[in-house]
Amino acid sequence: MSYDDVEIEDMEWNEELKSYTYPCPCGDLFQITKEELKIGEEIARCPSCSLYITVIYNMEDFTDQKPKTNVEPPKQQPVAVA
Amino acid sequence: MEANERVKETEEKQEVWSWGAGTEGQLGTEKLQDEHIPQLLPLLPSISRLSCGGAHVIALTYGKKVLTWGRGASGQLGHGNMVNSLEPKSVQVLSNFNITHVSAGWNHSGFVSECGQVFTCGDGSFGQLGLGDYVSQSSPIKVSHFASRHVYQIACGMRHSLALLKGEHGDQVYGFGSGKRGQLGISKEKVKAVSLPQSVSGLQEVNVSSISANGDHSAALSSEGNLYTWGRGFGGAPDVCCPDRVISRFSFKQAALGWNHVLGLTDEGDVLMLGGSHHGVLNNPQKDVLVNQDLTEEQVKKIPGLNKIKVVGIASGSEHSVLITENGEVMTWGWGEHGQLGLGDTCDHTCPQLVNIAQNAEHQYITSSKVYCGSGFTFVVRACRPKQT
Ligand SMILES: [Zn+2]
Repeated sequence: MSYDDVEIEDMEWNEELKSYTYPCPCGDLFQITKEELKIGEEIARCPSCSLYITVIYNMEDFTDQKPKTNVEPPKQQPVAVA
Repeated sequence: MEANERVKETEEKQEVWSWGAGTEGQLGTEKLQDEHIPQLLPLLPSISRLSCGGAHVIALTYGKKVLTWGRGASGQLGHGNMVNSLEPKSVQVLSNFNITHVSAGWNHSGFVSECGQVFTCGDGSFGQLGLGDYVSQSSPIKVSHFASRHVYQIACGMRHSLALLKGEHGDQVYGFGSGKRGQLGISKEKVKAVSLPQSVSGLQEVNVSSISANGDHSAALSSEGNLYTWGRGFGGAPDVCCPDRVISRFSFKQAALGWNHVLGLTDEGDVLMLGGSHHGVLNNPQKDVLVNQDLTEEQVKKIPGLNKIKVVGIASGSEHSVLITENGEVMTWGWGEHGQLGLGDTCDHTCPQLVNIAQNAEHQYITSSKVYCGSGFTFVVRACRPKQT
């Protein structure tokens, strides 16, 4: 059973993991790659537990040759390190 | 919410126990692994309050100083870097302040000083630090928006924060960060995100005694014992954009929010739950929890299996729950995959189960206990005194 349905715009792009992520109740992150989205995968899994979520998105936004789509690639947020 | 009784007797000893998800160092065991049974931690300074987040912990000492440990990748530990800490480390930036309230969110942290200043650090991508931008901070920064007004409490959720202010014009709750599920309570419509604190509507007439936030939920408890919730709807109910009083004939003295449920502790020592249709069956969806699927008169339902046991304290992780009985016993239920129930296995439970926390010394008794939950882990802080012989 899917833990939750999450829209792609509510997921965060994680440059390190090269994945869209969303908080998992275990403390880790649900993850799905652009490649997975491109082939229509809609399950984002957590590497630390058995839970998964269903990602709501338009496949067309990811199948274009160019990643120029109306899904705004979430920009990396700057970080202030004191 | 906090009994806040000091450890008076010099012979009284404090014990800190932890269990559950531990791969970010959040258990304070100095190991990066899950623990399925309670672990006694190496000696810490005397702790007055803990707050546990997604995978980090903030400890407030009786000396009003702050220690943090666990996941630090977003700067939530306030150590001036973005690294995890396996052991409790003091937050140097706050060492010149007397801190009286702390809150750990998913990946951010909030600290309130004795004179009412509030500081935040960690993930700021949704404006949840209240600093007017969407930038993360690795050291606590003062939230200047409140100027000289007195902040009493802060509550950090997944992507939002609440602040409780008291003043001559009554109590005021402010929200900042993500408002996608209505969790800010600042307008009738959902707002994407705000990076500066805005006043929560609908609580102006309410004397608020405490606030809490977890997941996409927000809650406030009034001094009359009324519980208000807003944000993501419970049990499949629609999201709520303004504080909504939980309909119940009971008066509440404590509330504990999860990601899909809220617990309320009544004045009589009963525990009630709202939402939580998957509580204790996440890994076993065929089994149905028979709690409050009908949103009739009483929105909340009593927790099964407690019978006449009187409860004195509650806490909620994302998907598990913990309570303390008047005899100082700890009981857990909900999701158990990471050992967060402390029962020696990874099973889920729909009814509270007794946790076996070893007596450190044979001739001692427990004088007070408090429970705290992070997303997938649990802490117990208890004071013990030797038995008179
Ligand atoms: Zn997980």
